Amino acid sequence: MTHLSMETLVSLRERGSEPGQAAAREHLNECDHCQAELQRLHQRVARLKALPTLRPGRDRWPEARARFTSERRRRRTRVVGLTGLAMAASAALAISVGNLSRPADPTPEQLSQAMQRSQVLESALNDYNPGGRVVDGRTARIAGELEDRIARVDRQLEATALQQAADRDLLKLWRERVGLLDALVDVHVTRASNAGL
Amino acid sequence: MTGTLLMDSSLLANAESVVARARAGDTEALGQLYRAFEVPVYNLARRICRTTEDAEDVLQETFFEVCRSIGRYREEGSLWGWIRTIASSKALMRLRRNKYRDTDELHDEAVGHRREDHHLRMDLEAALERLPEISRAVVWLHDVEGYTHEEIGDMMGKTPSFSKSQLSRAHARLRLWLGEELIP
Repeated sequence: MTHLSMETLVSLRERGSEPGQAAAREHLNECDHCQAELQRLHQRVARLKALPTLRPGRDRWPEARARFTSERRRRRTRVVGLTGLAMAASAALAISVGNLSRPADPTPEQLSQAMQRSQVLESALNDYNPGGRVVDGRTARIAGELEDRIARVDRQLEATALQQAADRDLLKLWRERVGLLDALVDVHVTRASNAGL
Repeated sequence: MTGTLLMDSSLLANAESVVARARAGDTEALGQLYRAFEVPVYNLARRICRTTEDAEDVLQETFFEVCRSIGRYREEGSLWGWIRTIASSKALMRLRRNKYRDTDELHDEAVGHRREDHHLRMDLEAALERLPEISRAVVWLHDVEGYTHEEIGDMMGKTPSFSKSQLSRAHARLRLWLGEELIP
């Protein structure tokens, strides 16, 4: 008597039916040996599912987060650079058509200064390369919070670029960005100097 | 949305708000996702990869990808289902990258058709570890994680038949190595 192969037994556990399964099931109903093999297969799968859960020996979140924030910083530099260019072009156009008449509006120079300051700080951060350095938990937490807030400001800047928001709103956002970047540089540099790095 | 996220409620409290904050780029929320799913991701990776180092790398790469792509998670399935697919792909990529000598022929050459195989009484953990990488991955993804042969074939860049044949060969080996007695 030819018994069912492992391939057939495994296929009998699948949902739905495949060609040849009717004959295999017929054999199974009459063969104690194959019934026992199928039962062993069921039990083996149940034992696989019951194997103990393995746990990581090391916390890999700090590395995953550092890689993510570093990539986000690179992307931010690119996006904000493009947004800045678009805004500068828009401000130049506004000057050329004499559309800066309201006294409460900031001057294009103020906007430009804020953008330049932001770029300088961004560049200083890139040079410092915080993603490639070891940081203590407290520094990482504060830097992470600042990065999150900068990312939120960037999203607002992108949105205002699309909506052609008022210059004073733009200036407010750029100044907020500069303040946050300043703080971020401080966090990294202060930590480094305290640690003698 | 709540329905699918509820499936993750045992792993992650306040799943909806955590996912919403993670999508906004909040690294604290992303960290909560990591804490909630690091063990099942590592367990899956370790069962597929050969070493703990590889499994830890897969864990890190999985969550880096989760951070980058959480905005694209559409909540059509459970959050764990989405993260698990990323983890499975990363683990299989790691197998390919390491270029393990994983063909059955080479494996047989290395550990052999040894006569004593017929009398071996291994525990399941050791037998699973002894399987060739690809076979072990198929066993784990199909029998434990519940992926279909079509899904496994897609993830491996192979056909469903490849997955079926790997599974049945793996079970034939496990049967031989374990010498199983039926549990009444």
